[in-house]
Amino acid sequence: MTKPAEPVGMPSPSATPTSTSLLGSFFSRPTPVYLSAAFLRLIFLLYGLWQDANSPVKYTDIDYLVFTDASRFVARGQSPYERETYRYTPILAWLLLPTAQTTGNRLIDAVLFSSGKVIFAAADLVAGWLLERVLTRSMNGASARKYAAIWLLNPMVATISTRGSSEGLLGVLVMALLSAVVARRITLAGLLLGFSVHFKIYPFIYAPAIVWWMDADRIKTTAPGSKPSEEPSLFKKLLAFVTPARLQLAITSLAAFLVLNLSMYTIYGFPFLQHTYLHHVTRIDHRHNFSPYNTQLYLASAATAAAAAAAAADSSQPPFSSAISLPPSPSLGIESIAFLPQLALSFVLIPLALAKRDLPSAMLAQTFAFVTFNKVCTSQYFLWYMVLLPLYLPRSSFLRDKRLGVAALALWIVAQGAWLQQGYELEFLGRSAFLPGLWLASLGFFLVNCWILGIVISDVGRGPKAVV
Amino acid sequence: MRERITYVQKLGDSLEPSAVTVDSGGISGPEVHAVREDRLTIALHELPPELQTLFTGAPDLYIRWVSTAAYEVVSPLLARLPPGFHLFFRPREGSNAVSEGLCSTLADIFGNISCSTPADSFTNLDSGRFQYFQELDSISHFIQYARSQLCRQANGPCSARIEALSTASSLDISYDTIQNVLRVTALWPYQRQQLRVASHPQLRTEVGILSTDKPKTLEAHEVGISGLLTVLGQDSKPSPTMFSFASRHRDAESSFSAQFLAPTGLHPTLQLRLTSNKPHPLSEDNDEDTAACHPYAYLTLPRAIFADKYQLSDPLFLASKNLTGLRYITQPVDLEAPEYAMTQWGSTVLVQLSPPNPTALSSRQSKGENEENRKEEWTAELPLHLRYLAPARGGYAVFSVPYPAVFWACEPTQEGVAAFPPNPFEKAHLGYDALFGEGTVFWHVEPRPPVEGVGSGSLLVNEVRVPVLDVEKARWVNAGTAAAVAAGFAWVLWKLVRVYLSYGYKGGVEEEGDRAREKKRQ
Repeated sequence: MTKPAEPVGMPSPSATPTSTSLLGSFFSRPTPVYLSAAFLRLIFLLYGLWQDANSPVKYTDIDYLVFTDASRFVARGQSPYERETYRYTPILAWLLLPTAQTTGNRLIDAVLFSSGKVIFAAADLVAGWLLERVLTRSMNGASARKYAAIWLLNPMVATISTRGSSEGLLGVLVMALLSAVVARRITLAGLLLGFSVHFKIYPFIYAPAIVWWMDADRIKTTAPGSKPSEEPSLFKKLLAFVTPARLQLAITSLAAFLVLNLSMYTIYGFPFLQHTYLHHVTRIDHRHNFSPYNTQLYLASAATAAAAAAAAADSSQPPFSSAISLPPSPSLGIESIAFLPQLALSFVLIPLALAKRDLPSAMLAQTFAFVTFNKVCTSQYFLWYMVLLPLYLPRSSFLRDKRLGVAALALWIVAQGAWLQQGYELEFLGRSAFLPGLWLASLGFFLVNCWILGIVISDVGRGPKAVV
Repeated sequence: MRERITYVQKLGDSLEPSAVTVDSGGISGPEVHAVREDRLTIALHELPPELQTLFTGAPDLYIRWVSTAAYEVVSPLLARLPPGFHLFFRPREGSNAVSEGLCSTLADIFGNISCSTPADSFTNLDSGRFQYFQELDSISHFIQYARSQLCRQANGPCSARIEALSTASSLDISYDTIQNVLRVTALWPYQRQQLRVASHPQLRTEVGILSTDKPKTLEAHEVGISGLLTVLGQDSKPSPTMFSFASRHRDAESSFSAQFLAPTGLHPTLQLRLTSNKPHPLSEDNDEDTAACHPYAYLTLPRAIFADKYQLSDPLFLASKNLTGLRYITQPVDLEAPEYAMTQWGSTVLVQLSPPNPTALSSRQSKGENEENRKEEWTAELPLHLRYLAPARGGYAVFSVPYPAVFWACEPTQEGVAAFPPNPFEKAHLGYDALFGEGTVFWHVEPRPPVEGVGSGSLLVNEVRVPVLDVEKARWVNAGTAAAVAAGFAWVLWKLVRVYLSYGYKGGVEEEGDRAREKKRQ
């Protein structure tokens, strides 16, 4: 079930504020924006129903069939992990339980089956509304809606959610987390953080950023008289770091994460751990994808398998000989330390350098770094940072310097196009495009992403401080 | 130990008893166009010790080998399987030793058998049975083994007999738990051959020279046989015989070919081209009978290629490929693992095909056109997926996929239909027969590869060329990947350091101070 990566378009900078009177009146009130966003998704949803009913090539994403199959198992009182390749929290299957119902009436059944997509599309809209809320802290409503429209009216986002991909749910979770943080609602933020990490692991990178950001100056503690007048010692500094707000966030997020995981483990046992979490540790990731590590991982996994086979052949000999002639252990490949640059950037360095300057943009940079340096990368992952893009764009040099913006967008698209072309030759024409084509294309795309990330980081460092 | 040798000719070909000479040396006759089947029946105590251990530990063991060379057979010797080495097996409870040693015993007998243990390499069938399949182009190793076990001299007539197995189309080895005998059956394809069988003093040899027959009294569900039977060393002349029986395996009198559509990519589509959309030659007479008849393809797919049961569940998608649905697929089939990380031999698929336009066909039938026009060629397409194979020189790896067995299965329309009574040519335990109810008749469609110019052998396999990572170009992958990641990381790190050096890490609350500092700098 290899998923051919779809081309992904970054929202064009020209879609951002250039006020003509017509556009101005469109964005001056929320209703037209959200109505259009909803209408866009409704059209896509209906079109999808038509295509699914009339064409052997389906509009609906394979993942949606995985979710709904899993929901059917749950509806029958079984485990969602009965469905092969279901690698998500059971909550997703529960959420889509209506899709498992049938009435016998074709129209009602189609509506029920699509209810999951409706949830995903609604999540898009809520994420857009949260974007607007966060943006209005630093700009007027109309401008905020213009930026939020990059998400709300983006056909790519609408396509992904109406095809039934659950990534949109992550968008709304991350936006809810961010809004709770900037609104200083610590308990809610902690619960959302714990829930997000339970849902899809990667939001754990936001924890250090949020913790670093929420210092005593931002979130006033109940004991304001304790400010020391002289230079504090290192110990006092460390002690001062542990503010009540930080403790509150740590406890609530950890509690939410643990309670959710323990309950799921109690209900579904080891398969829950295996498929939701351990799978990510043991997966080989040999299949072609955008990640720069991909070719290396394919090579290394085959070498490991060959070594294991040699060892097995050896052990069928008397144990004596296997003790003498150990198979050559595969050298410590870069794949085994690939998580280091990824986590150093997204979990430590970017939060440290940027979170206090502009939390939303720092989170964008973190997500961008996480996806770029990940061992697997498919186009769905791009959605993870796309939801944060409208929060960074108002200050980005890509908008200020149109030539730079166009160049970055063009490079991003061309590098991805080159990879997709090689991927097409491999997957559909059967040409051995792994080397050098696909490999170089993935490295090229990686370097373009790094270049863009560098500019984002400079922008966040240089630019005016965000109000949040 | 006893032997049964059967020649079966087609309808209308038969020999007069006078054409056959029986003497003390054996039986001989003219050249005939026939299928030949040799069956050797060996008592348990006559078997070599390793086989005695094997069959007492796992009495429910069936080994079937089918040649990759296309061959024609004659009713009732019809049952088809995909070419290769098949094994069906149920270990006796608590006999782990047999399971552990099975693969090495098989390798001793058949040579290149690449299973390790049943637990690792076999797939589960129902009720504790296991299945194993692999490609095996020749049984030369088995011939050597049999010669060393059965023949005293290296170059005698015994060796020559066994050497003849190298031209056989199929070999069946099955153990009869009731009579405690092992039956080894070899089949040679329909071809011109000299009629000659030598007698052996220690061996009871029965020779049948038969042909399919259609006596007036023959019922639709029956197969008729007539011909001459002789027991060597006992009979002085052949005795005529004629009998009929209900057979589970029948001849559909049509053929099919299988080919991958180009380009195969990583998701090859196997196209089956069938010459007829009628179940069997009798079908126009009785439409009610054929209502329960459907075409099926039974595939044994090596682990490098597999079918996705989820993809094969959408009615619209299936209809567009002329498929009705999956009747059976090995469970579980990993949908993601690369070939080199798997130990299971592969998977079995039984898929029901859907002949196009049955209504148009039946209306045309009623007009009573001649038979050639009524038979219509049609295709069905089975979408499959390749696993990643290990890196190789040149960037491509080639493996072959055996032809499926294609048949029309006519299932009984009423409940409680009796099983077929045993007949001398009965064949069961083929892998697919157990997936249908008792009393199902299989009308076999003959695999016939397309004729493509001179030199292309008519083999019942299709080769797939799989793009893999070219190891010859892989020298720079480690260093190059590391360099690119290091460069990207260094660039981002540099940007972070510059932000830190220029502005510190402090946040927005110190905005005023920051602004002042920035102003100073300008």
